[in-house]
Amino acid sequence: MLFNSIGYLVFLPAVVLLYYLVPFRFRWMILLAASYFFYLLWRAEFVLVLMGATLVSYYAAVRMGKIPDKKQRLKYLLITLAVNLGMLVFFKYLVFFTDLVNQFAGIAGKRPVIPWMGILVPAGISFYTFQTIGYTIDVYRGVVKPEKNIGIYALFVSFFPLVLAGPIERGRRLIPQFHAEHSFDPQLFTSGLRLILWGMFKKVAIADRLSMFVDPVFSNIGYFHGPEIAIAIVLKMMEVYADFSGYTDIAIGSARLMGFRLSPNFNRPFSARSIAEFWSRWHISLTSWLRDYVYFSLPFTFRGRKVNWRMNLNLVIVFVLVGFWHGPYWNFIIFGLFQGTFMVIANVFRPLMTRFNRVTGLDSAPRLLQGLNITATFLLICSTAFFFGPHPLHDSFYMILNLADFSQTGHAILLPLLKNGDLLLGIVLVLFMLWFEYLVAMKSFASKFLSKPVIIRYAAYLFMVMFLLAFGVFSSQKFFYFQF
Amino acid sequence: MDRKILFFKKLLVFVIMVIALNALLNIVYNRRMYYFRLSRQQDEQFEACPDSIRYLMLGNSHNRVDPAILGPGFSYIMPKEVYAQTYYKLKYILEKTNKRPQNILLSIDPVNFSPRAENELSFDGYWRKYLDYFEIARESNDPGYLLNWLSGNFFSYAGNYRYVLMSLQFRNADMQVVKNGYIPARDYRNFAKERNREALGFEIATVYLSSYGRNPVLGETKYYLKILSLCKQYRIRLILLRMPMSDEYLKYAHRMVDLEKLDRAIVTLTRDHCNNFLLFDYRNEFHGKPGYFFNADHVNPAGAAIISTKIKEELGKKQ
Repeated sequence: MLFNSIGYLVFLPAVVLLYYLVPFRFRWMILLAASYFFYLLWRAEFVLVLMGATLVSYYAAVRMGKIPDKKQRLKYLLITLAVNLGMLVFFKYLVFFTDLVNQFAGIAGKRPVIPWMGILVPAGISFYTFQTIGYTIDVYRGVVKPEKNIGIYALFVSFFPLVLAGPIERGRRLIPQFHAEHSFDPQLFTSGLRLILWGMFKKVAIADRLSMFVDPVFSNIGYFHGPEIAIAIVLKMMEVYADFSGYTDIAIGSARLMGFRLSPNFNRPFSARSIAEFWSRWHISLTSWLRDYVYFSLPFTFRGRKVNWRMNLNLVIVFVLVGFWHGPYWNFIIFGLFQGTFMVIANVFRPLMTRFNRVTGLDSAPRLLQGLNITATFLLICSTAFFFGPHPLHDSFYMILNLADFSQTGHAILLPLLKNGDLLLGIVLVLFMLWFEYLVAMKSFASKFLSKPVIIRYAAYLFMVMFLLAFGVFSSQKFFYFQF
Repeated sequence: MDRKILFFKKLLVFVIMVIALNALLNIVYNRRMYYFRLSRQQDEQFEACPDSIRYLMLGNSHNRVDPAILGPGFSYIMPKEVYAQTYYKLKYILEKTNKRPQNILLSIDPVNFSPRAENELSFDGYWRKYLDYFEIARESNDPGYLLNWLSGNFFSYAGNYRYVLMSLQFRNADMQVVKNGYIPARDYRNFAKERNREALGFEIATVYLSSYGRNPVLGETKYYLKILSLCKQYRIRLILLRMPMSDEYLKYAHRMVDLEKLDRAIVTLTRDHCNNFLLFDYRNEFHGKPGYFFNADHVNPAGAAIISTKIKEELGKKQ
């Protein structure tokens, strides 16, 4: 069931209503049943994978909770890591690795060693396995006490607003909320509805509209050149942002209707002044997860001394993992490699840049400097967007080559596209989205809006609903991040 | 408690406002949308025409065969129509009216069979009277089609702002131009005068044919087969048409689809399921003559007249 489907429009109010109608002690059961039902609709057999991940991590955490010695707890942590990562590798990466082995065999002049296996990837596996791994590491570290109630724990893993595409929640943040009794809070409820509406707007009016122009370029790479590719790349970044952040808004909004507060996943990433800042604003729950459970677990010393090159190497490793997490394609690995490399370059050249800013006087014009940094960061992110997708790797390089080719622009499809009202509307809506999120980030806007008379607020909501209906694109349905 | 009650009251008022405004927009759209006005005209004329129809034109806007030229018949085409819609319309005509067509003229262009056509149901506000959305959803195992039923009944205007603008532009259009159901081919542009024909041809090919991928396979065949089955059941002769494509569109179509292979597959499929059909191929009829096109994939009135005349001549020879 997709968030932007009629099914969800019926499912969500029904669950919310039931949730508030039943006594507190039964509420987690309602949510658990609803979450499994929600997941079951994707493919019934995938529920077994979800249950497997839940049971193994639950058992390991409970066992670890009974062992005071950290060293003795390690074996349970290793078991849960092996099972969860094993499932992730089997379902998501096995085809990639078998292809790799077969390619090497081909280079050596041998026949394919491993037969090709068609394996369907269970929906949301990258999200919920990371959630269970994070939880068991926290229990191992003693940061969080193991959850005794298996039902509550199963709900933590399968909670329907986040099971398919996050945010990747931490046990210490979400599990206590399942134990707490939430009375109906009109303010939180309204803020949830507002977020759902905004998320739907980003998905249906912006992301799906932009995909009408981005998809043909990425699926017919040979036909596009120069400015068309440049426009498609910028629009693709906006499309992915509107799609994924729209999904997250709906997820967070849905949880708020029942009194739960999920972690934010985006914080205006295109206002970042560096690549490092961008990743602290984009898919925050993934990058913070990798920071806490991978980056800080890597060694920072060499021969007993803390060295910079170790830190830089760790950065590259983590961002290659970020890329690879998105999918078993070389494209994503290269995408991650670029991100890590950009950050290392920024680290290495920071003293030089500081001096450059001082010499040129840029540091005395902070607004100009900020604008330059934001633009440079945005362009750098866009320059890696060629690799952000499951298309063949050679297509990415082909696009980069074609980007420099302006000879075909004469009969390019750019002009008819620009004449198309949908593209222009899409661009206007993107600008509106960025402007509006900037306004919301300034706290005074929200309080000013909420202090307006009810007629004005309702008129604004009504306009938004009607705008969504009239200008939404209702033919495309899938969310971009579901493929991960 | 008062706070909660007040909140629910306000929420209720808001929901009522949304429902009322939506209903109003839905009614206005269904009454005033340009294509719906044309189709109402078609429906009235169809009611009035004799029960025995020699030639019935079905399908999308590519099928511009004019009954005034061809002979006694009726054009019941609708823009953006896909075979699922054609099937249900034909079923409705055969099972719920007394009309009996002897020949059905149907276009079999690459776009009709593209994988994209499988899930393209447009103008549900019009089609809701014909289509059994529940059956489509059940047969395709895709409950998403119920959304079409819902939008057709309650949200006809949703996502269709371009047709609102178009309807405003044609608000004073003369509906009397519709004769025997035939909606005249558009003539307010001429493809020959377009400076960027190459790009326009590419655009159309990309939008409609890129979903074929590198290995052309027949995407939408289920409802085509059902149409064949209905024709067989009611002893109707099927006249299949490959309608003209502009050189520019054809050039890029060839790059995106193996047209020869596709054509062979369509003919084989038809032959396997229908024993009474004719095939007229006009795809290259206007090679080097962009002046007969309105845009890259639609003939203009002059082009439509030539094709209608040619079909009449061919049919005359066959008889």
